[in-house]
Amino acid sequence: MKPLKVIKEEQTMDLLKAIDSQIAVKVGDVSLKSPIILASGTCNFGHELSEYYDLSILGGLSSKGLTIKPRVGNEGVRVAETAAGMLNSVGLQNPGVDYFIEHDLDYMNTLGTGVIINVAGHSFDDYIAMIEKLDPYKDKIDALEVNLSCPNVKSGCMSIGSDPVQVKTIVSELRKRTTLPLWIKLTPNVTDIKSVALAAQEGGADAVVMINTLLGMAIDIRTRRPILRNNTGGYSGPAVKPVALRMVSECAQVLNIPIIGCGGISTYEDVLEFIIAGASAVEIGTASLVHPTCPVDITKDLRKWCAENNTTLSELTGTLQLW
Amino acid sequence: MRQEYNVKIVSKDMISPDTAYITINCPSIANNAKPGQFVNVSCSKFLKRPFGIASVNPKAGTFCIGVKVVGKGTTEIAAFEEGKEVTVLGPLGNGFDFDLDSKYILVSGGTGVFPINYAHEYLTSKNVKHIVCQGFRDKSQILMNDPSFILTTDAGDAGLKGNCCDGLNTISDEDLKDSTVVCVGPLPMMKAVGNWATSKGLKCYVSMEQRMACGIGICLVCICKVKAEAEGQEFNHVRCCKEGPVFPFEEVIW
Repeated sequence: MKPLKVIKEEQTMDLLKAIDSQIAVKVGDVSLKSPIILASGTCNFGHELSEYYDLSILGGLSSKGLTIKPRVGNEGVRVAETAAGMLNSVGLQNPGVDYFIEHDLDYMNTLGTGVIINVAGHSFDDYIAMIEKLDPYKDKIDALEVNLSCPNVKSGCMSIGSDPVQVKTIVSELRKRTTLPLWIKLTPNVTDIKSVALAAQEGGADAVVMINTLLGMAIDIRTRRPILRNNTGGYSGPAVKPVALRMVSECAQVLNIPIIGCGGISTYEDVLEFIIAGASAVEIGTASLVHPTCPVDITKDLRKWCAENNTTLSELTGTLQLW
Repeated sequence: MRQEYNVKIVSKDMISPDTAYITINCPSIANNAKPGQFVNVSCSKFLKRPFGIASVNPKAGTFCIGVKVVGKGTTEIAAFEEGKEVTVLGPLGNGFDFDLDSKYILVSGGTGVFPINYAHEYLTSKNVKHIVCQGFRDKSQILMNDPSFILTTDAGDAGLKGNCCDGLNTISDEDLKDSTVVCVGPLPMMKAVGNWATSKGLKCYVSMEQRMACGIGICLVCICKVKAEAEGQEFNHVRCCKEGPVFPFEEVIW
């Protein structure tokens, strides 16, 4: 009898670190070794998850949403579990962009993966100031992800991102101030996401990231109060995937710029669905909170699937045939 | 590298009508845990549930948790039986930083009896002098008790009538001298014990609880409000799962 072939965990990781052209993708001019990006707000700046796996197997990591000034975020309770997901109302707690540049930007550059910086603000001026702060570090940044979609703050973000006119204006103002790729993260809390995505494109965006969380609520029947101290929160997890897929598919039909799909991804099949719907890359968020190493399994499975089906993920993008 | 462990439940005992004591086989956690740390345990719900480690047996490769039924997830976990496979993440958080040349007063109530049990086990094994004080509502709530502990009940149907501070007041000045207080229990208990310790000039540590999601510091939902270091800032939010769950009493904003 042949001895069983034992693949040690380290060997698996070494295999995963080797470039596989079948899963390498491009988002506009940005080359990623894998379509998998860790979504903002579910990986902080990479320190914690790098204790669990080598983040260099990823296409990229999108930083916690940053603002000009440090934010302590919302009061607790900040989380409510739902049947197939969760609500959060963190409220953009972050150390501020200056602290980030001093303490975490260089660290993110040591991870061997795409460095995506998520920027948020309360006003047009905030976003412009953020871009002006970060542009001088363009050598250390692969793309700026502009958060026009956080539902947990009182001003800015979602309130700007749900109005196509404001989206176009702000994106074009940011476009004038940086040559870094601008990825605009969109909110699903709108009637017609296509009009917002097109506004971002017209403003000069390089890509859109969709979707951020859906605005939701959970209620404690004993106290008759919302569980979240903020009353409402952003809904994420497997439950939102069909909504995200529908939106990616709708936008893929009208946009010329790439889409980064996001919303409820937890398996390689989910990734493939988003890519078929029109995404060039994807973000994994809430799944990391449940299984920190799930991107490792998804990467393995994607490689296997591409090899077995003799296809590349790039070829698969937007191949959805609607009835 | 840290990882999630797919492990089996070795045994489960109901130690009160609504509390299970579960032993799990996971040598890595059993050998690396510190008193005060916690683990996240899977159930059929979306998120794992956090539990303070109640005991470890490094030789057998097992550790124990106490599961009090508070919702649907804990109802399910408390009903797990021997042989059940679960996914466990841990050990998580910072435990108690015990100085083996010092002496301690351990205070517990509610589910705090479990991490305090582990602390008691640890300090006993290291021959560190310590006193354990437990406070419960009434006799029916008593868990993880040992005759050597100072026991108080609000109802007075067991031990000393009163709250745990009344129990702590029975400790002699000599035993109090230079002791460090460690308290894990409901928020009002930790606040009262912290104030008691401060009045005696003793350092006190508490273990904070908050609704949690990831347990590893990436989601920022399980915040504890603490005094800010930066000037001009009223307070700061830190993560119970990462900077905590153990905090010096005086740093917490109650």
